[in-house]
Amino acid sequence: MLASAPIMAESPTLLKIGLAQIDGRLGDVERNAERHLDWIARAREAGVDLLIFPELSLTGYRLLHLTPRVALPLGSPVLARLAEAAGPMHVVVGFVEEGERGVLHNSAVLLAGGKAAHVHRKLYLPTYGIFQEERFFGAGRQLETLRLPWGTAGLLICEDLWHPELARRLAVAGTKLMIVVSAAPGRIGAGALPESHESWETLTRATALLNTCWVVYCNRVGWEEGSFYPGGSHIVRPGGEIAGRAPLLEEHLLVTEIDLRDSDRLRWRLPLLDDERFDIEGPAA
Amino acid sequence: MIRREQVRGRLELHAPLAEAVLTSFIRDAVETSGTQGVVVGLSGGVDSSLSAALAARALGPERVHGFLLPYRTSSPESERDARAVAGHLGIPHRVIDISPMVDAYFAMEPDAPAERRGNKMARERMTILFDQAKKLDALVLGTSNKTEILLGYSTVFGDNASSLNPLGDLYKCQIWQLSRHLGLPSEVIDKAPSADLWPGQTDEGELGFSYETADEVLYLLFDLGLRPEEVAARGYEERVVRRIVSLEQRFRFKRRLMLIARLSGSAVNLDQEIPRD
Repeated sequence: MLASAPIMAESPTLLKIGLAQIDGRLGDVERNAERHLDWIARAREAGVDLLIFPELSLTGYRLLHLTPRVALPLGSPVLARLAEAAGPMHVVVGFVEEGERGVLHNSAVLLAGGKAAHVHRKLYLPTYGIFQEERFFGAGRQLETLRLPWGTAGLLICEDLWHPELARRLAVAGTKLMIVVSAAPGRIGAGALPESHESWETLTRATALLNTCWVVYCNRVGWEEGSFYPGGSHIVRPGGEIAGRAPLLEEHLLVTEIDLRDSDRLRWRLPLLDDERFDIEGPAA
Repeated sequence: MIRREQVRGRLELHAPLAEAVLTSFIRDAVETSGTQGVVVGLSGGVDSSLSAALAARALGPERVHGFLLPYRTSSPESERDARAVAGHLGIPHRVIDISPMVDAYFAMEPDAPAERRGNKMARERMTILFDQAKKLDALVLGTSNKTEILLGYSTVFGDNASSLNPLGDLYKCQIWQLSRHLGLPSEVIDKAPSADLWPGQTDEGELGFSYETADEVLYLLFDLGLRPEEVAARGYEERVVRRIVSLEQRFRFKRRLMLIARLSGSAVNLDQEIPRD
């Protein structure tokens, strides 16, 4: 007979996740950084382990020709200050990154242990309709998983999620927690929820179902240039069930406890990733 | 592909959500600008009434200043309805007769036709609203809807001038829908839309088609991207479709103010698109 492990052992896959659904002031990094410090303090009080801010949370989204003026290198003291304030908490922050080779990126950085631990540069830059990102940013070239204390995670920025092979590749590489940060503008129609929000929930839920992982989606609120961001940040269980929702149109800290082990448990029953094949040929594009 | 009888339904809005979004827009603009509230010209028509109603809900009625700016030939019903709306919303309001200013100018231009006089009145009202905004530390609240913006049915730098416009992405039928939701007086919602720049003027008479048709045709052209012939093929009168297309093309300049000659490679608004927020 095997020696039994203590049944009540604390699960290392359990974490408290916080989504900081905030507004920001366009182009005002100093003020936005101050606001980040407030939310970091609130999240630490709430016992959050991993706090997520929206896309370009430090700078605002619709920067156009202000973009170069607010860019920060990864070693910037602004990020260092946030990392220090985070203490033991892990924090994801969105900012304009002054990259090497004279290129600016729409980036999200994981701050952990007092420093920048990982950066994701947005891979798909929407340049259609209201969006003009390719005019001002260079696209990222690298997709990596993040090793978090609770398990493997992936980080995607807004439009990245609309190209589902990215989430798939991250999931196949072991991602149990898909972190999606967004500055997604709202549209409304006849329905009680913004049409844009319905699209996002469809997408996050499908991602959680097809990739059998947790999906956390943090979208901002507020107005820029006459366009609104509805918020509606939410957390989806592996399999697609919504585990928590922030309200629409207002700042909010959504705190939910999640267990990354749930992703394994679903994968044992539903081995979609294990069955995945990348060797199927045709049709030609 | 969409059929004509489906278009109306596509233009339906969830009124409580639209109200929540548009009131948040007004609140955000006023707070960001650091001003105390808004001023709005009240014509007694449905557009300015709706704009004022949204602002009253967003800011509280005491921070919304209504101005009735009649000319001596303006219809008395306009003033009556504007007063009724101000009373209904509980907003402070004031009447300023623009006849002396407008007449002083046209005493020097006695042959000016009605259209020039109408434009002058619209611009006179604009200067008063911006002056009152300065005095009251407020923003000028716009009242132009999407239908008239696309058709160019406005006086440039007159009624189309504002600091913020909550109605600019609402077609006229959506204006009516939202106005009913907010409980505006029915006489304001049900009357024939008119710029009231000369006696007996109505929008639909002047445009030569109904707002219902205009909204549907514009939605098909601009929101769905149909070509004019594809719109006509859905049962809209070809003459009307052609007229709507031609108005839209002719008056595009009214939507893009300040045409700057670019010399430098860093021209404002062309090379340097700096956000206004």
